[in-house]
Amino acid sequence: MIDHILTLLIFFPALAAMLGFVVTKDSMRAYGITVAFIEFVLSLWLWYAYDPMVSGMQFMESMPLIPAFGINYLLGVDGISLFIIILSTFFTLIGIASLTETRRIKDLIITLLFLEMTMVGVFAALDAIVFYVFWELSLVPMLYIIGAWGGPLRIYASIKFFLYTFTGSLVMLVGMLFMAYFYYQATGQWSFSILEWYRLILPENFQLWLFVAFFLGFAIKVPMFPFHTWLPYAHGQAPTIGSVILAAILLKMGTYAFVRFSLPLFPDASVFFMFPIAIIAIIMIIYTAMVAYAQEDIKQVVAYSSVSHMGVIILGTFALNVEGVSGSVFLMLAHGVVSGALFLLVGVIYDRRHTKLMSEFGGLATVMPRYATIFGIMMMASVGLPLTINFVGEFLCLLGFYKQSHMLTLTAGVAIIVGAIYMLAAYKKMFFGTVTNEANKNLKDLSKTEYLGLIPLTIVAIWLGIYPKPVLEPINNSVESVIQLMHDKAQSPEAKARIPDLSGKNGIISIQEAH
Amino acid sequence: MLEPINVSLASLNLATLAPMLIAIVGALSILLIDMVKEGLHKSLYVMISLLFLLLDLGALVDFAGVFLKNGTVLGFFDVMLMDGIAILSQIIIVGGSMLFIPLALTSKRFHEYNYPEYFALFLFMIAGFQFMVATDNLILIFVGLETASLALYTLIALHNRSKSFEAAVKYFTMGALAAGFYAFGSMILYAISGSVEINQIATVLAEDHYSNIGYVLVSMAFMIAAFGFKLSMVPFHTWTPDVYEGSSAALAGYMSIVPKIAAFVVAMRLFEFLVHSGVVWLQVILYIGVVVTMTASNIWALVQSDVKRMLAYSSISHAGFVMAAILIGTTQANTGLFLYWALFSFTNLGAFTMLWVNRQKNLLPGQSSDHPYEKFSGMVKTMPMAAVMMALFMLSLAGIPPFGLFWGKMYMIGSAVSAGYTVLALIMALNSAIAGYYYLKLIVFMFMKEPMVGYEQFYFMNASLSLKTIIGIAAVGTIFAVFAVNPLLEVITLFVYNSGY
Repeated sequence: MIDHILTLLIFFPALAAMLGFVVTKDSMRAYGITVAFIEFVLSLWLWYAYDPMVSGMQFMESMPLIPAFGINYLLGVDGISLFIIILSTFFTLIGIASLTETRRIKDLIITLLFLEMTMVGVFAALDAIVFYVFWELSLVPMLYIIGAWGGPLRIYASIKFFLYTFTGSLVMLVGMLFMAYFYYQATGQWSFSILEWYRLILPENFQLWLFVAFFLGFAIKVPMFPFHTWLPYAHGQAPTIGSVILAAILLKMGTYAFVRFSLPLFPDASVFFMFPIAIIAIIMIIYTAMVAYAQEDIKQVVAYSSVSHMGVIILGTFALNVEGVSGSVFLMLAHGVVSGALFLLVGVIYDRRHTKLMSEFGGLATVMPRYATIFGIMMMASVGLPLTINFVGEFLCLLGFYKQSHMLTLTAGVAIIVGAIYMLAAYKKMFFGTVTNEANKNLKDLSKTEYLGLIPLTIVAIWLGIYPKPVLEPINNSVESVIQLMHDKAQSPEAKARIPDLSGKNGIISIQEAH
Repeated sequence: MLEPINVSLASLNLATLAPMLIAIVGALSILLIDMVKEGLHKSLYVMISLLFLLLDLGALVDFAGVFLKNGTVLGFFDVMLMDGIAILSQIIIVGGSMLFIPLALTSKRFHEYNYPEYFALFLFMIAGFQFMVATDNLILIFVGLETASLALYTLIALHNRSKSFEAAVKYFTMGALAAGFYAFGSMILYAISGSVEINQIATVLAEDHYSNIGYVLVSMAFMIAAFGFKLSMVPFHTWTPDVYEGSSAALAGYMSIVPKIAAFVVAMRLFEFLVHSGVVWLQVILYIGVVVTMTASNIWALVQSDVKRMLAYSSISHAGFVMAAILIGTTQANTGLFLYWALFSFTNLGAFTMLWVNRQKNLLPGQSSDHPYEKFSGMVKTMPMAAVMMALFMLSLAGIPPFGLFWGKMYMIGSAVSAGYTVLALIMALNSAIAGYYYLKLIVFMFMKEPMVGYEQFYFMNASLSLKTIIGIAAVGTIFAVFAVNPLLEVITLFVYNSGY
């Protein structure tokens, strides 16, 4: 069974969702939690069985799907994707467990389980078309979640979300078809396998064009400035569960795809675009932080801060060295945990007061001390306090990029510190001072259901902040092989110089060899 | 004294006529049955039509075997031409018809199905389309085209609503114009080459190195107009939405599939040799036609308030998308055309059948058309399964993987990329994104809005077991298309490649 664990992980929730149509409405939550729990245990088993010393793909599965056009059902995980898969199953479990939604809960849980299938599928796919299938399919459940359970502007928000991402990914599809055609020209055979594409060395001008085509798809998903405008709407209108999954997992698809596609496929183009993208990333960090500071709605603050931190991830990815890329992969996990938790926390107060305006609150720390504590921890984690999970990732990202450019890193670092202001200000407005609003006097502190979601997240946020090694090490191993591959493939002297050569180090098995 | 003409029967190769003859015999026997005993139930005629179509399909599959062994089969003084694309397109025509004819088995009574002539005309029409694709003789193409079109006009008008009459007359007028253009174009081709057979015309033109290029271009202008009408290319598309709106949903769905594949095959035979011999003007015109058809119809579809009209514009857009194959002209592109159309027929069949089962006899007060978006509002709350099905077909039409049409789109865009039409590939991709909006609109209405009072009584009003079966078949074909793509691709590539396209 362990040989087919990835297929199991992908299709188990989908199958369960289909059977879920039969379950009655009252029992649906228990059913959803059970399924998500089994799935989570399966993903932990995957981690247990995963060999952290091997840097290449593990648990590979292959089945011809459309051999005439080189499309295969090809799955595998390495250190980069392993933890994001676990993060997806973890968040689906937490999301369903702490679900407070009451309207049409059956539809919602079935949709979430389908969404889980697509999320795991994206991170496990090693064939570009299979990746694309799950990538696109993930839009549909999210569209439904935002559109059916969201706020007053939900339809506008959901369509904007869908069309933006859909447009970007269609351009990406053209890019993928180009890659397959280049592969066909080079070898006489069609192939969409990413691992086989890795072997292809493209001329630099083709790399630039293809990089742009892929970039458009990924950048909209991340979302990078200036393609970020769909995200505040989506977050603002989505129900809590939608925002949690969107921030924690769906956005990671974009950054993950950069590491999986853009860097190893187009090393020269990555170096070429390194500084423009770094500048966009820094704009993202500063600009969205400023916008976040101006928000009156706490959920928008969290949403913009989430975009701001995505900028740090991008910066780390385009450091193009082991520290930066490992840091960005780690920060993806950290950002997932922290921003997911923050959205859950916002959901808690929204359920009680049905408003997200910060001016409505004040002095909550006296009324809801436990809530204030967890919110405080997560907020500290979000601004990157040492010994919290975000710090490790942000530090590594900046360290990585420091090797490429001191000035830009310095700017980014300052921006991140200054960015703490808006979080602290928001926290102050909501939690400190005296209770001025009558409606807040008798608010209940966290309930059992809410603890169920928040306690595990708090534990993870602190545990991985203090001791990140069990996660960081497998990531590091896999990232090293990606960087080595990039270095070997790079043609221009600048790329050779910018991407470090790790071949002197021992114990690295390159991706091709493992394959 | 004329010499007696001696033609051995064997040289005629009458077998090449068999598939069409089966359909014609089927039609005649339906008429005969009606003569013997009147007033029989439509289910009988549906089943008889199905049986004859099944025989027809059997004959075609048999031909497919012969083709793979011996290559192209000629017959009847080389007028009949059973090559790979003729066989493939006939299989799509007959297969599509077999899926559509059971749509007559509605639970409500409809005027047109009380006439056995309806089914006879239906079979005559199929025979017409089959003649049209199984020849490269311009005259026989014309005969086939007109047989089929005249039958189709009548079928539309039989729906017995004032809008249907309007649709039929509109279609007839436009069709007559197209026929005129076609005749004129063929005339010029005959005048400069002395032949009415496309491959001979191609040979003659190539031999004198296109010295008559001016005349060729004039004739091509007429031909493009003629096929522009039949394929509803912009700007010859104006009849399409009205005709679709006026015909029953079942027939509208049929019109979006079967007549178009027949026209595509003829367009392929007629235009591709010219594109390949580097007639730049034709390339440019086709390029513009493809892009404008795709884009403009997508934009019109955005503003429609009726689902059927939206689907009409969307089918124009799909036709434009597929027309790109004729411009690209590689084997991969032509394979893509057939693959796309085979997958499209399943999805579109499902979409139009969903409209058909929700057909209402009388409009509500204030309702402007048969299927306004509001009708489907909040459907997921009243009929969840039906809403999911409809959403499935919409997602497939929008090209969301892994549903049927995505694979067709992917292969078509892939063929554009391989042939070096990068800009075209991007335009095709971006058009899919525009199209996403109006398909999504229906999903938004069904899943995200509250139900409207009054409409729920019409949901599945028209449904019967056979209609539900058809929806089921379409859904299975749409969801599991990924497993059918590889065998389809292999077979289609073999057929298209061996026919020299």
